[in-house]
Amino acid sequence: MPQVKIIAKNFMDMVASLPALKLDKLYDNAFICEAILRSLPPLAKKYVLQMLYIDVPISAKLLQEWVLADGVSKHNVAVDRLVQLRVFIETVDRKKESTYRLNPKFQINLQKHIVHGGVLPREPMPSTITVRLPSLEDLEAYAAEQWECFLLHLISSAQAERTTNFSSSMMKIFQRGLLSQRDKEAPKLTESGFQFLLMDTNAQLWYIIREYITNSEERGVDTADLISFLLELSFHVTGEAYNMNTLTDIQRNVIKDLADLGLVKLQQGRKESWFIPTKLATNLSISLSDLSSRKQGFVVVETNFRVYAYSSSKLHCEILRLFSRVEYQLPNLIVAAITKESLYNAFENGIMAEQIISFLQQNAHPRVAERIPSVPENVTDQIRLWESDTNRVEMTPAHLFDEFPSRDVFEAACDFAREYGGVLWEDSKKMRLVVKAEILGQMREFLRR
Amino acid sequence: MTSVTPKLSTDDVSLLMVLLDTNPFFWSAANATSLSFSKFLSHVVAFLNSVLLINQLNQVVVIATGINTCDYVYDSAAAGAVPNQRAEILLQKLVEFVVKDEQLGKEDSVNGIGSSLLSGSLSMALCYIQRVFRSGPLHPQPRSNLMKLLVWWQILCLHGSPDGPEQYVAIMNAIFSAQRSMVPIDSCLLGAQHSAFLQQASYITGGVYLKPQQLDGLFQYLSTVFASDLYSRNFLQLPKPVGVDFRASCFCHKNTIDMGYICSVCLSIFCKHHKNCSTCGSVFGQAQSNAPSTSNQKRETPET
Repeated sequence: MPQVKIIAKNFMDMVASLPALKLDKLYDNAFICEAILRSLPPLAKKYVLQMLYIDVPISAKLLQEWVLADGVSKHNVAVDRLVQLRVFIETVDRKKESTYRLNPKFQINLQKHIVHGGVLPREPMPSTITVRLPSLEDLEAYAAEQWECFLLHLISSAQAERTTNFSSSMMKIFQRGLLSQRDKEAPKLTESGFQFLLMDTNAQLWYIIREYITNSEERGVDTADLISFLLELSFHVTGEAYNMNTLTDIQRNVIKDLADLGLVKLQQGRKESWFIPTKLATNLSISLSDLSSRKQGFVVVETNFRVYAYSSSKLHCEILRLFSRVEYQLPNLIVAAITKESLYNAFENGIMAEQIISFLQQNAHPRVAERIPSVPENVTDQIRLWESDTNRVEMTPAHLFDEFPSRDVFEAACDFAREYGGVLWEDSKKMRLVVKAEILGQMREFLRR
Repeated sequence: MTSVTPKLSTDDVSLLMVLLDTNPFFWSAANATSLSFSKFLSHVVAFLNSVLLINQLNQVVVIATGINTCDYVYDSAAAGAVPNQRAEILLQKLVEFVVKDEQLGKEDSVNGIGSSLLSGSLSMALCYIQRVFRSGPLHPQPRSNLMKLLVWWQILCLHGSPDGPEQYVAIMNAIFSAQRSMVPIDSCLLGAQHSAFLQQASYITGGVYLKPQQLDGLFQYLSTVFASDLYSRNFLQLPKPVGVDFRASCFCHKNTIDMGYICSVCLSIFCKHHKNCSTCGSVFGQAQSNAPSTSNQKRETPET
């Protein structure tokens, strides 16, 4: 059985947590097989490829012989993952030896792919009909703008200039966990809300999509259908137009929502309408954060703790305000200062120093991004120092043992606890001992003997 | 909510140079025995598809090695986004190449199975890799802590024809430059006998050398052994070299020799004693007494 607990950190974890029946249904779609294969750890990909044309089950022992002694842990992770995703079907025979074979649907789909080469999910529309296609730069700008508008709307609906088409109930769902609203007060960002704003776009997008998927059942959309559509979308070519008529009704509704997020751009022709996937959509299934998907940075941090942000966006201003004091705003420039007070404020809100630093680094202006480090060291060090100021006291759950019957028992107990690395404090004169809470069970067992 | 840190799982990106042996003499001889050229190609196309399938960043370049020339046949980065025409593009270019190769070879007739121009295709592969290194953002930078994509190239030789001893110097130079730029050369031998050149190439550059026993299952060999990216290779059981034929060819008659004479200045190899070195011009003395030292005049090895 899989030993790794599933936390939906990306798309594939989400897929892995689906019930077996739905998962098997998903594998009918060749694109999903492809996306799943690409998301696997390197060793797992290798195993799938190796077993693609083997029709008999392979014993776990034989599988283990493929790796060197160093790789056993990686091997186990790979096999667990394959079993989790039901790519490997595990059977345990009477001698308790497990054998694996590939999921037949998955196998057939991939075999087809390898023999014929891949295909595209839909044919792009001929360029005669779609005359005015946006250029790739325009498309990227559109996606960024759309996404920013959505984010601004998300954190404070008052500030957004345009409204999105998401119903307010939908918006509430997204805001759940990010904002907390007490009676009659303006909604306030929660700890995770702050962290959300500092994440890179791919991570933010994933968070929103995850919420979107988990709530799909309430809107009467099947989770598996939605996932398969989203994955399929990521195999479309960025910047090509695809006819809306090829979509089902449900998909058409979904794509309108996705357009609000900036994943696709909708265009209307004289007779037909079409959608154009943006980079956000095509990166959806890719688990690695691709350098090319990162937008250009805008922040310059000086050694005197001053932050210059070349941006006119309100969202950026809001984000900077989270951890710095905004001093003045020019049409294309925001000047802020990182101060002790502003940082303490941020720490109180649950933002961590590393998040601030990584935000500054990831969004460094191209002029300073080439430099190493892109954020001056004295600033990053000071941010970390101020953070450690706030955590001078470290708390560890612990248990106190005293009134030992004899010194021998006390010393034996100390040695035992030391072996587990659980001694926090001991006083040999008064025979008292404090151990970490984790080893309480073992200690009890030991003292009972 | 867990804080999501950008994970760089780019370890398993592989950029693969495939050198196809298209020596017509070899394939006509092999046709009768085990593997015909068309079958071979279908195995290779399936292999290329599978390499491109497992990671969206993978890239494949195919170079055909003829007996008179060699050329780029396929480049997945340039071929556009239509994956289902991969095989057609490859085959079409291959046909053009074979015709060209044949035309060039009409002047001098080769007796027996000639050797194909491995040195040429190896150099082409290395040139391509150098060009990508120098121009693009894909340059391997192990020291930089920036989030650069670390991408490593590898060369896979699918080779069948016997070694051409006359290419010895060129091939060795190619091997050493591959070693310097950390490009492993994998070799998969399709012919009946082992190739000393490729054994040395794989040994020196840290690649895998394999001579499949059953050529019918070539795809299985390719996907099992050669589809592994360099990162996974640290954990996988791969075929180990049984023995490497380290014999060199002499520079004077291009014979493979066990023992010979070596120029003390430029390390050129000769099968018998000469008055002076044909590469660097040093004069060798018969005995130690009458050997004037002219060792400082060193010239570069002429390219063969």
